[in-house]
Amino acid sequence: MASGRFAEFAATDSQNHGMNLRFTFPPYPLVGRPREVLRQYVEGRDPISGKPLMPQVVDALTKPLSETEKAPRPLRGASRPRLLKPDTEENLQQLFLENSWADGLPIILPTEERVAHMLTGTSADPNEVVGRMTITTNQEKLEYTVEKVAANAVMAGAGPEHLPVILALAAGQEGSMPSSTTSFARMAFVNGPIREEIGMNSGLGALSPFNHANAVIGRAWTLMTINLGDSRLGETFMGSTGNPLNYNNMCFAENEERSVWDAFHVQRGFRKQESVISIFRGWSVINSMGAAGCCRPAQEEMLLLLQAFPALHGSITFVMDPLVAKHLKEQGFNTARQLAEWICKNFKMPVGQYFGSDLVYSFGNPLARDGVEPYASWWKLPKETLIAPYYQPELINSVVVGGETQALWFTTDMVCSQSLPIDKWRPKSGVYQEEEQAARRRYARQKRHAAALVASGYDLK
Amino acid sequence: MAHSTAQPVRALRTVLDPRGQPTAEVRPSPLAPRLDTLQGKTVYLVDIGFGGGYDFLEEAAAWLQRNVPAIKIELRHKRGNMFLGDPELFAEIKARGDAVIFGVGG
Repeated sequence: MASGRFAEFAATDSQNHGMNLRFTFPPYPLVGRPREVLRQYVEGRDPISGKPLMPQVVDALTKPLSETEKAPRPLRGASRPRLLKPDTEENLQQLFLENSWADGLPIILPTEERVAHMLTGTSADPNEVVGRMTITTNQEKLEYTVEKVAANAVMAGAGPEHLPVILALAAGQEGSMPSSTTSFARMAFVNGPIREEIGMNSGLGALSPFNHANAVIGRAWTLMTINLGDSRLGETFMGSTGNPLNYNNMCFAENEERSVWDAFHVQRGFRKQESVISIFRGWSVINSMGAAGCCRPAQEEMLLLLQAFPALHGSITFVMDPLVAKHLKEQGFNTARQLAEWICKNFKMPVGQYFGSDLVYSFGNPLARDGVEPYASWWKLPKETLIAPYYQPELINSVVVGGETQALWFTTDMVCSQSLPIDKWRPKSGVYQEEEQAARRRYARQKRHAAALVASGYDLK
Repeated sequence: MAHSTAQPVRALRTVLDPRGQPTAEVRPSPLAPRLDTLQGKTVYLVDIGFGGGYDFLEEAAAWLQRNVPAIKIELRHKRGNMFLGDPELFAEIKARGDAVIFGVGG
């Protein structure tokens, strides 16, 4: 059984699994409906077939199988030619839009010439298989090569210099837009020398649309998710509202130079000279909207903001301006880990509030029922008892980014799923260099920002 | 001066298909043979974990008890969340059950 809103999805999903399952669809939604309404659903009709619901269930279990049910054929599986049929620029742009092979915005068409130029950004063989991906939980994955990744990088507007980072993202084999009805968000940021080499922004406005590298790397992840992860609206992607972060996936570089703490990739065990992209999964982002330390210390404000999250498995990531990290260091947090431990110890929530969340109902309650600690013990407590749901400091992360014009941070429920090495995807001749003139302009801009910080009398070290 | 009415020749472009390759890793699977009747049979109703599903299945179980003579109902929560299997329960259903209804998706 599946609720009526998912009739089309359920039919396609089962066929993609190689089965022609027999579904019955009660009306939607079930969640939150009073018991008498659920009883009416049971006594009523399937809104899709129009037939009495429970007799249809009995039929599904007793009616003889059809030939296609006995010997189903999978919906997919045909190999796709490497090239599309030649056409004009306008028609091909239209084809990509109509087939939803893009993000709704115009793309750079992945011509053979452009893809060949993109491939100068890596020494990897174009036919090397990078991975397999699907945005669904168990459906068939699509396989992709270096050349497929390069084609999507072209579409995103990237240059060859960005390809090693995009290939590292692709090697993670994680889509940026999971199928879930809950409308996930993702985040990706880069550490290490390649940030500078390809002109990523880790400073002023790094999360806003001003930087080519940040923009195209984030967009490439979305396009790869659509084309390599088989994201199709209403067929595999079911996010009810969708999520605006899906356009660019909060892509930036960490401001290692202005941080008082170890770079994120170093905290994760990489060497400082390695280049790494770390990817995160979550739903929500809250701007602190004010200066840390103006009225109360940042860590206390963090505790208040955290009340907005369901604290499902106790993962949080703070995306903070260098000023915030400095302020926290002044408060005695010499490392990001110390802040994480303090949050774990000091954040409390009534257990009734914790288990009252829909998300915890779906993912926490089964753990409690199955005897998994600490959920099983929490389940037995009176509703008003305070618990510390952030009990694993390793799931509390901090990353530093920004231009030091305001001591603010974002509180997110993001959890780091992978940190992926980039250097293996570099070309042997070194990262493809952007035009000299563009590089000069970028360095001049960075120098002006650095000079402004020095002139303000502010020095982190 | 006369104007040409001929359309400009538009260059054709050859572009790559940006989509990944199907892997055919999913193998077709036939449905299990159906029963002649549910009367006297053991039917499992398994809640997969979406909100409201268990309450709905309780009502469905009550309907089956009222309308199918001698049916035996086993109403269960599946272990883990809705995206995970439950091999232990599935083995029990194979050994002791005649039919199973999973729900409620979405």
